[in-house]
Amino acid sequence: MAKEKVHKDVVIVGAGMAGLTAALYCGRMNLDTLVLENALVGGQIANAVGIENFPGFISVSGSDLISTVQQQAENFGAVIDEFDSIEKVTLKENPKIIETEGKIYLADVVIIASGMNRRKLPLPEEKKFAGRGVHYCELCDGHMYQNKIIAVMGGGNAALDAANFLTKYAEKLYIIHRSEFRADEVTQNRVKKNPKIEIFLQTEIKKLFGDKKLESVEILDKKSGETKNLQVDGIFVNIGVVPNTELFKDELNLSQSGRIIAGEDCKTNIAGVFAAGDVREKEIRQLTTAAADGTAAALLAEKYLSKLKGDF
Amino acid sequence: MVKVYSFESCPWCNKLKKYLTSRGVEYEVRDIELDEEAAKECQKISGDLTVPVTTVDGKNYVLGFDKAKIDALLGI
Repeated sequence: MAKEKVHKDVVIVGAGMAGLTAALYCGRMNLDTLVLENALVGGQIANAVGIENFPGFISVSGSDLISTVQQQAENFGAVIDEFDSIEKVTLKENPKIIETEGKIYLADVVIIASGMNRRKLPLPEEKKFAGRGVHYCELCDGHMYQNKIIAVMGGGNAALDAANFLTKYAEKLYIIHRSEFRADEVTQNRVKKNPKIEIFLQTEIKKLFGDKKLESVEILDKKSGETKNLQVDGIFVNIGVVPNTELFKDELNLSQSGRIIAGEDCKTNIAGVFAAGDVREKEIRQLTTAAADGTAAALLAEKYLSKLKGDF
Repeated sequence: MVKVYSFESCPWCNKLKKYLTSRGVEYEVRDIELDEEAAKECQKISGDLTVPVTTVDGKNYVLGFDKAKIDALLGI
């Protein structure tokens, strides 16, 4: 059966902070707005335990913050579909075509806020131990490690926040990072003061061992060149992110890192296509800047639509 | 009856439950955080250290939120 064709003023790809903020603004401007998200609504912050650097909140969980923004967007009429996956996009035509598993959307404007995915552990044993000792979601899998030994890989804010959170379950926790910490001072001090945490900097994980489940890892001290075996029951990998731009790479200009090239106005190389949030090439990627991008993209999308429809 | 091994603050578990509800599938929640028996059952079924786990017969199961596999398992 042929897929149903549905027209939308705006289709937003991704329901993280940038996408939902754009949806909120588009909704308030009475634009017929659809948000498509096939992973978690909230994107990377869906897993954040305590956010302390979003103005207006002393500390808020990612899920609480994002569900409020989602509600705001929905209150103004935006529709969020979190169960349909995009198969193909054609952005150069007008209207732009977004084909999903179930429908073909014809959109006057597309705002891409598809964000980033966590980078996988680059070791051949990753597949063997995925879900059996190698994990990417602390909130989902952390509780499986009650009174066990956990390692967190990574040195940014997300990794260190994850480490602090996981000490709620772990008897002992190692942070293993290949260089120096990139996390802010407040977060670094928190892990340094945590009595359950032992830190290995300038250290790499070289091999994973175990029969059916992970049992230990081999680590390399890059300064001394020494290797040693560390008994761990689980590793939570937090070693950075990769942009979600696979669907757009044939039509949009991407940077070397795979992000979409667009300025502060979020305009891409195709008229009517905007890039917002972490997927846009820029120096600072924070929750606040994601919200700012969502705002700019939505307001400029409305201007573009007005011109397109000959409103002025 | 469809059983979903999960716990309340797990985001992928919540997405799965929302999906099943949207498709009109009735299911029993087996909370592995509150119920030790449920946690043991879950381990026995999947052998993995991750949730959600969806099963009907306790033998065939789907790990995580994989829509295509869930549709196939439940015939929806």
